[in-house]
Amino acid sequence: MSNNRYGASIDVPAWREQPRPATGAELMAQNAYRPWPARITSIKELTAHEKLFEFRLIDDRLRDAFHHEPGQFVEVSVFGVGEVPISITSSPTKQGFIELCIRRTGAVTEVLHEMQCGDIVGLRGPFGRGFPVDKMRGNDILVVAGGLGIAPVRSLINYIHDERADFGKVTIVYGSRTPSDIMFRDQFEMWRHRRDFDLHLTVDHPDDDWDGAVGVVTEPMKTLDINPRNTYGAVCGPPVMYRFVVAQMRRMGISYDRIYMSFERHMKCGMGKCGHCQIGHQYVCIDGPVFNYWEAKNIQGSI
Amino acid sequence: MLYRVIDAQELPALVRAFMESYEVVAPVKRGSGYVFRAVDDPADIALSYTMTDSSVKKYLLPPDEPLMRFDARTNLVEDFHEEVTPRVLFGLHACDINAINRLDLVFRDGAYPDPYYCARREATLVVGISCMPGDHCFCQLWGSDEVQFGYDLFFQDIGGKYLVSISSVTAANILESACNPREATDEDRIEFRHATRRRQAAFNPDIPRIEDVSMLMDAFHKDPFWDELGGRCLSCTACSAVCPTCYCFDITDELDPDGAHGVRKRVWDSCTNPSFATVAGGHNFRPTGRERVRHRMYHKLNGFMATHDRMLCVGCGRCVDACKANINPIEVLKFFEKKGLEDVE
Repeated sequence: MSNNRYGASIDVPAWREQPRPATGAELMAQNAYRPWPARITSIKELTAHEKLFEFRLIDDRLRDAFHHEPGQFVEVSVFGVGEVPISITSSPTKQGFIELCIRRTGAVTEVLHEMQCGDIVGLRGPFGRGFPVDKMRGNDILVVAGGLGIAPVRSLINYIHDERADFGKVTIVYGSRTPSDIMFRDQFEMWRHRRDFDLHLTVDHPDDDWDGAVGVVTEPMKTLDINPRNTYGAVCGPPVMYRFVVAQMRRMGISYDRIYMSFERHMKCGMGKCGHCQIGHQYVCIDGPVFNYWEAKNIQGSI
Repeated sequence: MLYRVIDAQELPALVRAFMESYEVVAPVKRGSGYVFRAVDDPADIALSYTMTDSSVKKYLLPPDEPLMRFDARTNLVEDFHEEVTPRVLFGLHACDINAINRLDLVFRDGAYPDPYYCARREATLVVGISCMPGDHCFCQLWGSDEVQFGYDLFFQDIGGKYLVSISSVTAANILESACNPREATDEDRIEFRHATRRRQAAFNPDIPRIEDVSMLMDAFHKDPFWDELGGRCLSCTACSAVCPTCYCFDITDELDPDGAHGVRKRVWDSCTNPSFATVAGGHNFRPTGRERVRHRMYHKLNGFMATHDRMLCVGCGRCVDACKANINPIEVLKFFEKKGLEDVE
């Protein structure tokens, strides 16, 4: 933004005009509202409503500058339709590519679901505060997710998977409405056969082939044997789920500040300004989306 | 702070000097009220106004502001350039300058400086003037009846003269070139003290002084009062439109008639808009007037306090006039004044 004698001007130049030697971090900092072009490199159908997209930022400077924590999100643009906040579902250990699990549920995601490999979208971010992986290191991890809530915690699970020696016992509880709504089935199959992941799947409404547990996620949680002093909880799911899961974790003896949860809100700007994602005095986009239970208890209207 | 004194008759010359390099926005009479708008003639400026219907935030955060241009076919950003008009916001009361200072906290001083806001703020001079409170003014409750920074010049009316606080070099140069500023005398300073006392004594005594309202709001978060207050809300969003510190917005894409190109904009939005906290799939985190009105009052009187150590309300009283359902901070203060006393009587 340049200054003339008294006034100023606003410039948002096209991408190809961006002068080198600006670094990726400098480009991003110039104008955080500005999405950068990213190409779809892979699309995988997960369920009838959800697809797993893999994106690659086209500009290598931005690609090198893009680092995220599990639990952070990006804003995805389809120009002319709009922009949506989507949590990153790939691990930070997977560099150069960004995976997003996208449910077909609105105008922008409708268009995204029609897109093909090679198509270009706009990406900006990453935004927000993710799961505290540095604090979690060396501890046992209890992940509880429901429905699409698996997307942000999958980033954490995959990170633990890649840095497995750094973490203790890992327990994953995942609840879906029906067996056909279970996302990342092949990955769950893989985790199921690893002895160092304790996996519990449950569904609300079983079909004829389902031989697993039936009921809400708190049911399998009751059977778990965990060491509360050495365990971090990570929770994400539909709004109604939090109160019950957190209460169960408290009953298991996990401290308020060791239970981390990711909140869903409509983060429109991602920078603590537009107000749409506010809960009480906190902005989910910059103060969250991951909060611990102590913080959440101190936000009026959070759970 | 540098203080000088000028005669009241010198003011038009100062405005004309500003006009040589800036657009001058000032209060003018419109209908039964006052508005801020660009003026060509110093004679149009109505400095004796009590309060304008809306604030000057539209000059820093336009209601409908282009952010970038795009090509919808390639999904790429196209070149976009906008010249920002150099502007003087002239004749602002202390509350409105305090309001700009709060916008600065959000849009200029945080982790993500907003390039659009910063460009406009950079190109803006702020000239304030002292005032006497109207019936709906309660700025003194939050200490917004005085302003310590955020302006270039501030004029304190001391009867036919102004005591001028000068806080920027740009403004000092223009003031010196257009007027004849002189050193303040002891009489000037004493008249300033009297004027301040007169203002402090003139506030509407019917507005309860509840200075611990932030804490009380936390304690009474679930009180039925919020059902009653929120139940009256018509969701017209007039409160946030006139509020000098309401800054929430929406981001929308607008296609040109050819459908190929378009502009991404931000437009004013409000937390009292019923769909404001709705997420994809339709879940609304603040589904009724109760949650929405309570959220707005909390952000103003409690939440901003928790993060920025000051209210997001400056007590200008505009929402008191704008709300057709009589929802405003004064009602909240009155509730806390009465709460607990019903049983005693």
